Amino acid sequence: MNRSKWIGAIGGLALGLAAGATAHAQTAGTIKLGLIGSLTGPHSGWDAPAAEGVQMAVSEINTAGGVAVAGKKYKIDVVQEDAQSKPDIAATATQKLLSDDDIHIVMGVLTSVPGVPVATQTAKAKVMYIGGFTALDGIVGTPGKELTFRALDTDQTVASGFVPTVVKELGIKKVGMLMPNDDISKTVIKAYEPLFKQQGVDVAMIEYFQPGTTDFAPVLRKFQSQGLDGLFIGYADPDAEAIVRQSLEIGNLPKKFVYRGGSGSPAVKYADKIDGFVWQILTRDLASPGDDKVKAWIERYKAFTKKDIVSNTYWALTFYDAVFMLGKAMDAAGTTTDQAAIAAKLKGMAYDGVRKMSFDANGRAVTDVDIGVIKDGKTYSIPEKIL
Amino acid sequence: MLDFVQTSIDGLMVGGLYATVALGITLVFGLVGILNFAHGQSVMLGAYVTFFVVSAGYPFWLGALFAAIAMGLFGALLERAVFRRTLGDPLAGLAVSLGIIMIVENLAAAAFSPDPRFVDPPVSGSVQIGPLILSSQRLLVLFVSVVLIGGFNLFLQRATLGKAIRAMAQSREGAALVGVRVPMISRAIFTIGSALAGAAGALYASLFAITPYMGATPLTKGFILAALGGLGSVPGAIAAGFLLGLAESFGSRYLSASFRDGYGFIILIFALLFLPTGLFGAGKARV
Repeated sequence: MNRSKWIGAIGGLALGLAAGATAHAQTAGTIKLGLIGSLTGPHSGWDAPAAEGVQMAVSEINTAGGVAVAGKKYKIDVVQEDAQSKPDIAATATQKLLSDDDIHIVMGVLTSVPGVPVATQTAKAKVMYIGGFTALDGIVGTPGKELTFRALDTDQTVASGFVPTVVKELGIKKVGMLMPNDDISKTVIKAYEPLFKQQGVDVAMIEYFQPGTTDFAPVLRKFQSQGLDGLFIGYADPDAEAIVRQSLEIGNLPKKFVYRGGSGSPAVKYADKIDGFVWQILTRDLASPGDDKVKAWIERYKAFTKKDIVSNTYWALTFYDAVFMLGKAMDAAGTTTDQAAIAAKLKGMAYDGVRKMSFDANGRAVTDVDIGVIKDGKTYSIPEKIL
Repeated sequence: MLDFVQTSIDGLMVGGLYATVALGITLVFGLVGILNFAHGQSVMLGAYVTFFVVSAGYPFWLGALFAAIAMGLFGALLERAVFRRTLGDPLAGLAVSLGIIMIVENLAAAAFSPDPRFVDPPVSGSVQIGPLILSSQRLLVLFVSVVLIGGFNLFLQRATLGKAIRAMAQSREGAALVGVRVPMISRAIFTIGSALAGAAGALYASLFAITPYMGATPLTKGFILAALGGLGSVPGAIAAGFLLGLAESFGSRYLSASFRDGYGFIILIFALLFLPTGLFGAGKARV
């Protein structure tokens, strides 16, 4: 480095320090944000990127001076706990966050098993909670859960645009549904079955498998020789990939798959062997973004995490916008601590961030999402305009 | 009828895999007296070894061989470093093996990530034999399982070490009196059991998803089978493996797939009610 570059670097550093000191001097206080998620264990594939999204949003907000509330700026301090993919650990971790009197808002968790105790305990403690897991649909909007929010669209919301797109893209007429035997699947089937029928698709059979199943051959045999041209499957990537792979392996089964899940990765390896695979990109397509805001976000994400984009990265975007929206709600409510006032502002608020997002009167998110398609060996996405 | 035959073959194909896992458990518990709950971790690590070898561009069979050798060494190390010290105290052995599960599982999750991996199988697609449509890979897994089980039986009958194992199965004290080095044989059994788990892991990897948490299923089923077949009974473990495969296949096909893992426990409960020492158990190890 030559002399002029040294001087420039030192000057830049001095200016940065001065700007930081000024920003610090103008900060009115700190907002403690509880962040919980499975950073380890089998659910970490969802929650680790989600946590990155929160940390990234907080970093950007703090770099810009903090959240503006009633003319004052507040920095955000994230207090993070690991739910370890286990409900008991999630409960303990939530208690730890709730024992801190300065934490008024908790965010995180995209999977239902550790998520339910988090939602239950935060509601009991009357602490605002923004989660993402499917079972949250049955919790938000119920009495005593006025401070509970879900940052992902409900199945009903997504399905209304997803099913017609699927039918058009894959040209299916008769499908079978294969899902794990749990409450989530029953809610999903309740949402999707009538929509398929509305589109003129015959739902010929519905089968449930034991959660944790690795060998799908016996249950897949039931779908053979039924005249099906599509399989509706869900809802976790390992199950979906095993079903696709084993369907091809045992043969005489449909090669068009409708995935009620958030990633195309279960079918990528089999793209040239299947006739179609459609899935829900519950945020925006990060693999081949067509939107400048999404492209810019991807670059910022890479710079912040020092990681490349992978199939699960979009979970980061799920909570990223929600953090900014939360700041906007605090500003509108004129408080960083009155959770009822913040929640009231958040409900019905429309936010145009990296993607468009709003919360309905019950606390359920309504956002623009994309639909992913693998067909004829090609992968592409179709925007599903919900807002 | 066709459906019945097809379901039977499906059951036998998975049953062979179950029997391979159960063999290791029944040997170690029945003959050495160690309740090694970490056996499932050897299956998991064996699957990962196969995955990495195959991902590096080498053939599946080399991966399977590496998996068996690596897990055999891993088993020998565990026996030497840990389980030998807990021989007289089964509870301590149990606690230690539970600790090993947690350590290995979390290390694997940190090193390999919890994302599921799939190994490209050595053969793909299905074969049609008359009206039957069978998965080529599953047929191959059945064939390899039968070869492994048959080879192991041959080893027990013909090899000097195998004969020593059989002598120890009949009477540990008697074997020691006639010059069988019981600690060495115990170590060999542990090594062989773990190597079988590694090989089973490779076969698992060719069919199912690999994750750091995959060890629990083969472990649970392996223990059901070891108990069902009679602890320490090699023929019992083999028969129980195929029986469980058939029960799961028929149960999932004709009753409900959402109760798949329950069928094994139902059989186990009935077997223990009417055959308390298991299918082939006569109160002591049988090889």
